[in-house]
Amino acid sequence: MRSASKAEERPIQSLKAKTAEMDLPFFVLVMLLVSIGLVMVFSASSANAYFRFGDSYYFIRAQLLWAAIGTVVMLTTARLLTPKLLRISVLPAFLFSLTTLILVLTPLGSSKNGAQRWLFGFQPSEVAKLSIILCMSWLICRQKKKIKTLKGGLIPCASLLLLFCGLIALEKHISATVLVFAIGAVLMFVGGVDWRWFAAFGSLGVVGVLGIIKVSNYAMQRVKVWLDPFIDPLGDGFQSIQSLYAIGSGGLFGLGIGKSRQKYLYIPEPQNDFIFSIVCEELGFVGAVLIVLLFILLIWRGFTIAFKAPDRFSALVVIGITSQVAIQSILNICVVSGLVPNTGISLPFFSAGGTSLVMLMFEMGIVLSISRRARL
Amino acid sequence: MERTPLDSATRRRMLLVLFVFLGVCFGAITARLFQIQIVQHEIYQAKAIDQQVRDTTVTPKRGTIYDRNMKTLAVSASAETVYIAPKSIRNKEEAALIARELSRILGVNEETILKKTTANNYYEIIKRQVEKELADEVRAFKKEYNLESVALAEDSKRYYPYGAFASHVIGFTNVDGEGIEGLESYYNDILVGMPGRIITAKNARGTDMPFRYQQYIDARNGYHLVTTIDEAVQHFIEKHLENAVIEYNVQNRATAIVMDVRTGAILAMATKPDYDLNNPREISDPSLIAELESLEGEEYAKRQMEIWQSMWRNKAIADTYEPGSVFKIITVSMALEKNVVSLHETFNCPGYKVVAGTRIACWKAGGHGVQDVVTGLKNSCNPVFMELGARIGGASFYEYAEAFGLLNKTGIDLYGEASGIFFDRNTIANGVVETAVAAFGQTFKVTPIQMITAISACVNGGYLNQPYLVSKIIDDDGTVVQSFDPVVKRQVISEETSAKVASMLEQVVSTGTGKNAYIKGYRIGGKTGTSEKIDQKNAQGIADKRISSFCGIAPADNPQIAILLLMDEPEVDQVTGGLTAAPTVRKMFEDILPALGIMPQYTAEELASLEKSVPDVSKSTVSEAYAALRSAGFVPSVIGNGDSVIEQVPRGGQKLAKGGKVLLYTEQKEAAPLVTVPSVTGLTPAKATAKLEAAGFNIRANGKDLTEAEVSAISQSPTAGSLAEMGSVVTVDFVHESESEWVSVDY
Repeated sequence: MRSASKAEERPIQSLKAKTAEMDLPFFVLVMLLVSIGLVMVFSASSANAYFRFGDSYYFIRAQLLWAAIGTVVMLTTARLLTPKLLRISVLPAFLFSLTTLILVLTPLGSSKNGAQRWLFGFQPSEVAKLSIILCMSWLICRQKKKIKTLKGGLIPCASLLLLFCGLIALEKHISATVLVFAIGAVLMFVGGVDWRWFAAFGSLGVVGVLGIIKVSNYAMQRVKVWLDPFIDPLGDGFQSIQSLYAIGSGGLFGLGIGKSRQKYLYIPEPQNDFIFSIVCEELGFVGAVLIVLLFILLIWRGFTIAFKAPDRFSALVVIGITSQVAIQSILNICVVSGLVPNTGISLPFFSAGGTSLVMLMFEMGIVLSISRRARL
Repeated sequence: MERTPLDSATRRRMLLVLFVFLGVCFGAITARLFQIQIVQHEIYQAKAIDQQVRDTTVTPKRGTIYDRNMKTLAVSASAETVYIAPKSIRNKEEAALIARELSRILGVNEETILKKTTANNYYEIIKRQVEKELADEVRAFKKEYNLESVALAEDSKRYYPYGAFASHVIGFTNVDGEGIEGLESYYNDILVGMPGRIITAKNARGTDMPFRYQQYIDARNGYHLVTTIDEAVQHFIEKHLENAVIEYNVQNRATAIVMDVRTGAILAMATKPDYDLNNPREISDPSLIAELESLEGEEYAKRQMEIWQSMWRNKAIADTYEPGSVFKIITVSMALEKNVVSLHETFNCPGYKVVAGTRIACWKAGGHGVQDVVTGLKNSCNPVFMELGARIGGASFYEYAEAFGLLNKTGIDLYGEASGIFFDRNTIANGVVETAVAAFGQTFKVTPIQMITAISACVNGGYLNQPYLVSKIIDDDGTVVQSFDPVVKRQVISEETSAKVASMLEQVVSTGTGKNAYIKGYRIGGKTGTSEKIDQKNAQGIADKRISSFCGIAPADNPQIAILLLMDEPEVDQVTGGLTAAPTVRKMFEDILPALGIMPQYTAEELASLEKSVPDVSKSTVSEAYAALRSAGFVPSVIGNGDSVIEQVPRGGQKLAKGGKVLLYTEQKEAAPLVTVPSVTGLTPAKATAKLEAAGFNIRANGKDLTEAEVSAISQSPTAGSLAEMGSVVTVDFVHESESEWVSVDY
């Protein structure tokens, strides 16, 4: 394995012997999103924080600290991380995630809202997102020649992916499962796994999901509430309705920053998964589209870095990380605007939360470190 | 091309992924945001605001209702609504505590409150219109246990300072402050004012957010009504009406209206029995209460509503009756105006008249003999009026009835006015029998308010007025918002005819069937009426129910005031209007005319028989007292051996007829003993006087021409059997027994 990859990448490394500065546009976009995210966390959380803790700054104080830590982590990573180091870290990452994902299911893990997700203060599933990116990228590079085949392409990649997804699914963490699966699938697709498998398994998946909905009353009810949240306005539909009220009342220019009304206990935990509805309410359609545009530019820039990455592994890692941001933000906005059923998926850079922000900025640091060696 | 780690297939796939992310997914998201934020913006905004904002209505203060001298008849005072927020109740103990304590303070059923504590909301009313003292008690309770779940809100409550006073005119409001009867209902929009609003932002827990905006829209208080009702007049009318209902055992309520004939303004309007405006749903009749108790569920509710409706019904405007002989005022006005009769012309009454082959009797069996039209009115002779009816003619009779406003509602400012039942034009135009009977007021129905309005037109110069109860609408500063001037609908008869009618009516009282309405010093005119309720026959098929009525006007030489009194089904031996309604109207006039500033002007004859005030001789010496009383025309009687007067009966200032006895007590121990008053009912004036004087009382005899035969006492005050000071005055009302005009319409 080692010799194969070395043979492939040595000439490229030599081309880019000298490292450049990290990619400024990407860095600026990240910092813009983080800053706007902080403002919105403060605005969205203040009422909830005041009501629950008697302190309007309860959430923003922690979030500021995490953002500061995250920035340091990002910059350090951008400066110190090398492709070699990244490649070396694949196995530890794999082993670490495997261990923690299993440990979290033991009594060592702690549960919150009926799901076993926490281990010693962090969520293994957050780390697993990065791990699957690293491992899948490595696997695809290793299997480059045989990637089109069933035995050499689909089976090893799918096995890796199903191992991760299965473990996360055992936590009953649907959103993370979906996310890890989607990231892995994107990487497999970009890596060259035959697209017909995706078509086949995709249609099989659709049939399977429809079957579950048909059979399970619970799933049926969820879908019904998703299609029309007003059938259960005080129960399952409550969050969706309140989110629609917030987004809808924003109008073209919004109520103004800090002037959300829906954050006053109408939207539960407005600083978390539903922060984007507060963004829409306060900043209006114009503000929401501008933030969507920032995400688009970031993803665009991420793909550009991937295009110009010094090697295939780095390119895939950048694709993976950028796709994670893309998928997560798309799913989040789809949830708050009622396009997909309600699952707990956070909005990158915006939703309050320590582990996810630091992990995200660490990933941004990886992208930046790769950008330093990219031929931009 | 530069060497690249990525082959072109990989790059294509990356571009495809990028396109799916940016083009498809973010494109869909942008479209979705556009749909929610721009297209459906207003829908969601409205729904969001609906839940985010608490819109509290500020109830304006309801306007006051005044009498014409600005005495308060109905007024609103602030009160409070006590409510609970069930979702804020922390536990069962708190719920139980709230139920127990609020039940104790407010008198609401504990079970009812307990049930409300389980509701899934933040607003359950426990009691409305709670007065301040009780509200303070609730506040203290709330504070003591630091209860967030108990709260108070501003409310208002309507007070009627005089209770049942003018209840059918004033009306009342429901708990929401909407007038549902009387003026309260008719002028509700005026009285209610404009509600204000407080718009407050609230969070999802329903708590106000002080740091958010609040918007006030001031309430405008309701306007006040200045009515034409005179509190003093209304008071006297009600007093005498109430007594009459008891005295004459009236079965189906009695009503009286006092109208200023010059303007149509209603000075008083009463129906008895009445109801307490402060407690309008309380049924006081024991037999009705018993009847209700025997019912259940829907039947109970239905019957209760019926009882309420009939209790609240304003008889003066909502009930129709056959006016009977009182209507002869209208008939004679028509005849005089049409000039179909001369005042000197004579008629013969053999006791009946045959009209188109139908024999219609006069109330007086033997007939009244030969009489002119004035005497015919005085005697209330039916054949004379049948003749007048024939001369007027059915078609013309109809037109006059219409002109007098008897075919339409008067348009008085109250809801629920009935319109009467009259012949259609063709029936009466072609029906001589109908015209004959209608001429003395039978076989058609009018409302009391139509009747008094028409009679006012007969005596006020011929002008038919629009009756009204409210003269002005004013605001809080007293500025007139709207004023109602008297409305003359039309002139029905000439001033000359009107003057003749008024003078004839005076003669009815001074020497005719209306004698019992005579008052010394006043020129009273009037007409009695006793009508059969011919649509209500008993088991034998005889219409035995009667309505006795009297319409009086004063002063007859310059009519200002009219009173119409109507008693529906009096049940005493003699139920004629002359014997029941006329004496009651006399008492009413006696009280209200001085109250209205119309002072008596005595004739020489009246002056001689007039009562005088007893001089106050207490504390003077016996001889001085003796002299003073003698010179005033009274007979002193000294009791005891003291030198000076300690006490006198009747006391100084009281009215006593000339020659009345005044007892002078000179020793403390014997002063003013109480004696039982004997009964004089049914006695002649001479016998009654003798009996009272023998018992140690002075008599005050009310009535006209007391020396004539067939005069007897019908009532006395103090009543027989009660105790009164020896020497005090017993007032006895005498009536002329013969003056009855029993109508029997058998045709």
